[in-house]
Amino acid sequence: MWKVAIVVLAILVCIGVAAAKDKVVIGVIGPMSLPEGQAEKNAVMLAVEEINEQGGILGLEVEVVVGDTKLNPDSATAEFRRLATVENADMITGGFSSGVMLAMMETMAETKTVFLADASSPAHPAKVAENYEKYKYWFRISQNNGTTFAWDLADMLDFLNANGLNIKKIYVIRDEHIWTDAVMNDLKPLLEKRNIEIIKDVQVPKGYTEYEQLIDEAESLNADLIMPILAIAGTGDVLAKQWGTLKPKVMLAGHDLAAIDPGFFEKTDGLANYEIFIADGGALVTAPPTEMCKKFIEAYKQKYGHYPESHQAYGAYDAVYIYKKAVEEASKAGEQDPFSPDVVVKYLEKYDPENPIELTRTIAFHKNHALAWGDNYVRNWISQWQDGKQYIISPKTVANGELKIPPWLAEEEQKTPETTKATPGFGALIAIAGLSIAWLRRKTK
Amino acid sequence: MIELVLKIIVFGAVVSGIWALVASGFSLIFGVARILNFAHGTLFVLSAYFGIVLVKNIGVNNYLAFILGILFVGIVGVIVFKLTISPIKTHEVMVVIVTLAIALLVEQFLLLIFGEHGISFPSLVGGIQNIGGIKITNIRILSLIIAIATLILLEFFITKTKTGKMITATSQDMEAAMLMGIDVDRIYLITMFISSILAGLGGLLYSQIFATTPIVSVKALIYAFAIVILGGLGSLRGSIIASFIVGYVIVVTITFLGARWSEFVMLLTIISILVVKPTGLFGVEE
Repeated sequence: MWKVAIVVLAILVCIGVAAAKDKVVIGVIGPMSLPEGQAEKNAVMLAVEEINEQGGILGLEVEVVVGDTKLNPDSATAEFRRLATVENADMITGGFSSGVMLAMMETMAETKTVFLADASSPAHPAKVAENYEKYKYWFRISQNNGTTFAWDLADMLDFLNANGLNIKKIYVIRDEHIWTDAVMNDLKPLLEKRNIEIIKDVQVPKGYTEYEQLIDEAESLNADLIMPILAIAGTGDVLAKQWGTLKPKVMLAGHDLAAIDPGFFEKTDGLANYEIFIADGGALVTAPPTEMCKKFIEAYKQKYGHYPESHQAYGAYDAVYIYKKAVEEASKAGEQDPFSPDVVVKYLEKYDPENPIELTRTIAFHKNHALAWGDNYVRNWISQWQDGKQYIISPKTVANGELKIPPWLAEEEQKTPETTKATPGFGALIAIAGLSIAWLRRKTK
Repeated sequence: MIELVLKIIVFGAVVSGIWALVASGFSLIFGVARILNFAHGTLFVLSAYFGIVLVKNIGVNNYLAFILGILFVGIVGVIVFKLTISPIKTHEVMVVIVTLAIALLVEQFLLLIFGEHGISFPSLVGGIQNIGGIKITNIRILSLIIAIATLILLEFFITKTKTGKMITATSQDMEAAMLMGIDVDRIYLITMFISSILAGLGGLLYSQIFATTPIVSVKALIYAFAIVILGGLGSLRGSIIASFIVGYVIVVTITFLGARWSEFVMLLTIISILVVKPTGLFGVEE
């Protein structure tokens, strides 16, 4: 009998040794050909490097594995499954694109993987609320819900009107995508309350570039403001460039994800000057809201030679640290397996609006695992490009600059359509073309 | 109403001009060498990326970078033709597969180096003009002028010069052209060079008005292909007229139906025309 007991014990020891955790695996998933995906990957690498230097998580070394969604639900779910089941990721962070996120949430539920996610549709936390046991592993870490985007946009209009502008008619240009439907549903009643009319709501597909016609139409419809709600289109730079060239009698202010990129001004040849945007994700390179955010931005610059290329970097960096914190709290509380997804969820939920955690932003989760919105948590700061720099212009608690009205709108005499002179090169090129034709005609006679 | 019509005329003309350049290059190499170059859209974006690197990384003057960008894709086109297309040019399906593979390879390379977000070639001219109450950027006007001037030059070159006549002869009957002493391989190279610089010129103009991304190469290829089929495969004039039809369909759709419908209506129009006239507007049955 004792021989059998020894054999059983030996087997159990072997299983125990085999199953003993020797490292922590963090997965990062996103569209790796886009700045958003790159920022997520870079931020996770940086956080993991720092954590490993400090001894890892509960003494275990942390390893990073990367998945590419290619902004496609099929690739995204396949990659998520690979990270969760082949690479054995303990936690996955990232995402981007609400439609892709919905697909990945199913794989997350199936594999029971803690997912600190990026994407903004209210449909995601709604799933957590509807079927908690299935979707409880999902937490939004990067930015707020689409609903709160509407609050930010309404706040932006209040701020502009309080600063001498009289915005009564707006022309909306938005992604033809699920996430902007949610924003519009919440924005419309807020605008009605303020007696602001949407004179046109234009949806544009991914890669759309013909904005000049839309800008021209907005001006001819006497719109006071063009409101972009653009992320997936990926062409916010083209809109800003064409707006800056045409100099219409219409402000450009809204949610333009591309404008958050510190390289945006250069990409638009400086034509994005005076564009107002709501800084998604609650942080800007030029106005970090916390001490950790300030350090992170500088460490990122030192490691990669440039500042974070999108706000997703803050969310991904925070994801690694909040996961570490939750695991450590679980261990301290005597949990048998602090890495168990169910245990980690329990400890992440402790960071609620009453008990937020200060990372690069102040993070707190609601019961449906959406990120808490507000001046004291994460929100989209009202910001503006001014002479090559990004400034937060509202709310006052974090503002580091003041609103500047584009000069062609501010000065009365410049209100009539401006016809600028072409540079000398313009005439020269026409002349060269004409001479070439004349020369060729002579030569061929 | 007059303002609306004028707006459609002005915007449509500019959009059409750039696509006419790209499509005429695509049509030219098909008409002469029977080559469906699926890497044509790649040449379109490659010129813009090369020009942008010259300006932003090396500090080359905008005008010089513009010219070097065009010449660069001309040379790339010739090298691609000589190394990959020429040995298999008699096998049309192989040509499609090889050029498509090159297009995908370059697209992935550009994605790795530059990412997916757009970058612009600095505008050669700034400012705007007010035409009948419509504000239009000088770069759009310049692009239209350059496109029209280039297409006129191309027409003169093809119909009036000795080399142009040899290109026409080769396109009409390759074997007869060879018997008349024309070096057909040299003519193919020249045609590929011209086809590539037309794509390159279109790409550089496009990236000044809009922005270039690696994905734009697919858009350029689809537009060029659709236009060339609509105009009639191999017909240069057909391609130019079809470009203007496509350009105006896009602008009219954006004006009356909305931006999201523009490409759908454009493709629907092309299919409808092809149902009625399967050889395209100026194509002939072989």
